[in-house]
Amino acid sequence: MSTRLRLALFAVAQLCLLPAIWKIARALPPFGNPIEIYGRSIDTLGPPLRHISNMVSAVNFDFRGLDTVGEEFMLLCAVTGAVTLLRGIRGEDRGAKAERLPGRPLLDRAESTILVARVFAPLILLFGLYMVLHATVTPGGGFQGGVIIASGLLLVYLGEGYDAWRCLAPSRVFDAMEGGGSLLFLLCGLGPMAAGGVFMENLLPLGSIKDVFSGGLIVIENASVAIAVIGGFAMLFLEFMEETRAAETENER
Amino acid sequence: MTWLVALLLLLAAAAGSGVVLSRDPRRQIFAIAANGLVLSALFFALEAPDVALSELAVGTAATPLMFLVILAAIRMDRKG
Repeated sequence: MSTRLRLALFAVAQLCLLPAIWKIARALPPFGNPIEIYGRSIDTLGPPLRHISNMVSAVNFDFRGLDTVGEEFMLLCAVTGAVTLLRGIRGEDRGAKAERLPGRPLLDRAESTILVARVFAPLILLFGLYMVLHATVTPGGGFQGGVIIASGLLLVYLGEGYDAWRCLAPSRVFDAMEGGGSLLFLLCGLGPMAAGGVFMENLLPLGSIKDVFSGGLIVIENASVAIAVIGGFAMLFLEFMEETRAAETENER
Repeated sequence: MTWLVALLLLLAAAAGSGVVLSRDPRRQIFAIAANGLVLSALFFALEAPDVALSELAVGTAATPLMFLVILAAIRMDRKG
């Protein structure tokens, strides 16, 4: 198919879609509109019912907690799939050397890189931890904090090299974190059922609003998501980075 | 719509076009990271800090890194 024909087809398709797009665009609420009914009801009901001030966490972990269980297991499946495909002998050895194109010089890590990584790695890990802990109070939560912590671990790789990074971040720990976090999240849903309530009913003491440990069950669910996300993302990074190591035998390829 | 949101929308359009128009895969990865950064700023300006944080961590750090690693692995396997 020539470029011209494709462009013509594209133009025809655009023309066909245009009325529909126009109609939908006209029906959308105006840009920057005051909060919709659902948001308003959550804002009104959230603080008195759940004693937490971050309504996104209230929706994710309580009001629509079942959806998050689904997302949690989507993440588990995605990570399991990627890790199953990538896990091999390559790079398992801590001293594995980086593979490089022939003729390309192997440069030492610049001192400025090491300095920046050593200054910022602990700060970013700490910020991630802060984000995880304050899920019920300020924006952010287990997922965001977990991804921040997992990315912060990469700065350890950047600053200390592959050997030290693998030492600090053993893949077995992340395996356990990913699986254990998902299990804990599911148990948060099933536990209340065992106690005679409904799925994911918030039966724990709610605490006082704007306190780090307010929200009852939400605190545990948030922690389990953080554990699973740290484990999942760190494992993904680990498996992907292993692919940059040199293969030692032919059948590792 | 404030001028800040308008500016960020324009930036997002520019960054998105940058991703599409850059032909070298390595540059494209950095264009994706830049696009993620602009998008997270836009989400923040639109009062969605949670989404902004997710976009920042996943779109600007995690995804480009994985693409970079894949690209490196592909280039090294082609050397034979």
